[in-house]
Amino acid sequence: MKKKRVIFLLILLFSLAGCKAEIKENVKDKDTVVVTMPVSSEPEAGFNPVYGWGAGEHTHEPLIQSTLFVTTNDLQIDYDLATDYSVSEDGMTWTVSIREDAFFTDGEKVTAEDVAFTYNTCKKNSSVNDFTMLHYTEAINEKTVVFHMTRPFSVWPYTMALVGIVPEHAYTPSYGEHPVGSGKYILKQWDKGQQIILEANEKYYGNVPKIKNVIVLFMEEEISLAAAQAGQADVSYTSATYADISVPNYELYSVVSLDNRGINLPAQPKEEKDGVLYGNDVTSDIAVRQAINLALNRESIISNILNSYASSAYSICDNTPWYQDAQVPYDLEQAKELLDNAGWIIGEDGIRSKNGIKATFSILYPPSDSIRQGIAEEFCNNMKEIGLEVIPECVGWDIAYDLAQSQPLVWGWGAHTPMELYNIYHSQNGKNARYSPYHNKAVDAYMDEALKSTNLEDSYSLWKKAQWDGTTGIIQDIPWVWICNVEHLYFVKQGLTIPEQKIHPHGHGWSLLNNIDTWTWK
Amino acid sequence: MKKRILFLLLLLSIFTIVGYFCKDNALVTDFAHKNMPPCLDYPFGTDWLGRNLFFRTLRGISISILIGTISASISTIIAIFLGTISAFGNKNIDATITWLIDFIIGLPHILLLIVLSIVMGRDIKGAILGIALTHWTSLARLIRGELLQLKASTYIQVAEKLGKSKLYLFQNHMIPHVLPQCIIGWILLFPHTILHESSITFLGFGLKSNQPAIGTLLSESMQYLVTGRWWFAVFPGCMLVFIVLLFYYLGKCLQTYYEQKLGE
Repeated sequence: MKKKRVIFLLILLFSLAGCKAEIKENVKDKDTVVVTMPVSSEPEAGFNPVYGWGAGEHTHEPLIQSTLFVTTNDLQIDYDLATDYSVSEDGMTWTVSIREDAFFTDGEKVTAEDVAFTYNTCKKNSSVNDFTMLHYTEAINEKTVVFHMTRPFSVWPYTMALVGIVPEHAYTPSYGEHPVGSGKYILKQWDKGQQIILEANEKYYGNVPKIKNVIVLFMEEEISLAAAQAGQADVSYTSATYADISVPNYELYSVVSLDNRGINLPAQPKEEKDGVLYGNDVTSDIAVRQAINLALNRESIISNILNSYASSAYSICDNTPWYQDAQVPYDLEQAKELLDNAGWIIGEDGIRSKNGIKATFSILYPPSDSIRQGIAEEFCNNMKEIGLEVIPECVGWDIAYDLAQSQPLVWGWGAHTPMELYNIYHSQNGKNARYSPYHNKAVDAYMDEALKSTNLEDSYSLWKKAQWDGTTGIIQDIPWVWICNVEHLYFVKQGLTIPEQKIHPHGHGWSLLNNIDTWTWK
Repeated sequence: MKKRILFLLLLLSIFTIVGYFCKDNALVTDFAHKNMPPCLDYPFGTDWLGRNLFFRTLRGISISILIGTISASISTIIAIFLGTISAFGNKNIDATITWLIDFIIGLPHILLLIVLSIVMGRDIKGAILGIALTHWTSLARLIRGELLQLKASTYIQVAEKLGKSKLYLFQNHMIPHVLPQCIIGWILLFPHTILHESSITFLGFGLKSNQPAIGTLLSESMQYLVTGRWWFAVFPGCMLVFIVLLFYYLGKCLQTYYEQKLGE
């Protein structure tokens, strides 16, 4: 009996101690935020911009380093380290002057030499970003750096908005683990596979962030939800699957994104080359592609699969300065008419065929992505209504890229640069585009011209023309159909204010911290 | 006992056949009725794509039984073949096969299964071959032991001395003795194969996620358990256990039946 009482007392004591610790933490935590991120957001190669930190597939501001330029909330270009820039008439040299009040956290000044070193190192080593358009970089004095290009590249400022500047004097092979930069934050601690702790850089040349400590925890989606439910995280990432759960003391925060979901429609007849099938006999017919675009019920897909946490997408770059309005109505009748006129006749089983070719194809989706699976399923239901038979099929990424050359696949794209259009639609060596067969000479020409332009603002209109110039373009050819822009969702603890975010690119991770310097606790 | 065995067989074949006819229904998505808890119209509820979990579970069971049948049969054939060679072959062959058996038993099944399934292309074929190639060992060892024992028994040796051919001995004395063991072994392999098929599919290496196998249903349900949708996992899980128990029970019944017969 006595023993039991002792145990009871001990338990009571420990639980009280627990309460006390928690309260104390809450008071202390006014300048700290704990953020959860997907496991895949942990940078494999560390915080080295040369090996993909901030750049690559999922772009975001590098935080620890500063960049020459930044993209604004409406995706225009603004200065960061740079104070001025000019480009030569032929677009082959870019001259950028940099500010003189920027210092690395080890006390050394950020000079043009460091910038040149960073870009030359990227050119030599970067596997995640394309630097083939850069010939070499040189510093002509302490505050001026010159980029010599191999070809005109008008969207170069968008690349310069991604590359964090590294110090030449402190760059070692282990830089990724011990980064030194001139950014808003300093890497304080990195427990691989668990967490990253960032500390505000008090010597930052801009506004020093009010949030002094940022703790980033890497965890799966379910655990992230549990972390919010237990009150352990201030910002917990989540998805449409869990968005309807109400977590006490937390509010759902949603950020508009460019993170789109789209389906490629191979735009050439089937042929085999080097053991890989290219093209598809059904989707190679432009009428079929246009009909698919019209018969997609984007709104119902969004409400059914994404619980309405998304917006309809009609291009890869909705709402960007280089977006050409591509909106189409949901119109089954017109879709059917298009197919009828093109000679696709409905058979006894309700499936169309033309010249003995049955209107059947597969739609591929990657495993363990329930959203893309749902989109694929709904795509099939939509297509059934206009007499196209589509069969959903799950394939791993190891073979998906090859299979997508001949079969539609549910993709996710979205980046802060017009180059995204180029990567998707521009032909490679005048043959076919990279991810799905498509080739339109006029579209290629507009994009080439846009890259040659010496004025960024002017080039936007050329990117738009590549989408539609009044007679031809991507909008008419529909080599891809776009379905939705997924909203990025977070559970945010009450009292934490997150100001308006820059539209997020593809990837549900670090982008959230782009404006961490403006977050505040009430 | 015979009646019981027949009843179990009938029950299992009903599951297989009914499941086969659910093939198309199991794939229909209906977003007007998604995430429905179990009710009269949907006895097992519906999932996040509005698919009827009752049909999906039945279909999953039937796929599992099918995979079980094929892979257990291949396994048994391998076991009989290797067991016999081992018992009648020379010393070296026997040593090699015994070593192989020990080697495969020594490796964790699931690892070998994952490797084989990836090599075979992550498909139904991969799952079947993976299971078949890993599950023959204990039966092979059993058959080898039985045959060695028989070879040494007096009546076989007498028969051999009387000038009966090897084939005659094998057909008339050995097969009748070993066959029941094989059949029981075959049946008792089913629970193993079905569970292993589900587990590698659950881990993402067996069947693809557009095939409604039980493993797929269970792995899909993981994401939704936090949201309180228990029926995604409970019914398919219970059915899996139920089927495995049925097979196990069938095997045990057969065993008792043969033992009784032998006793008579």
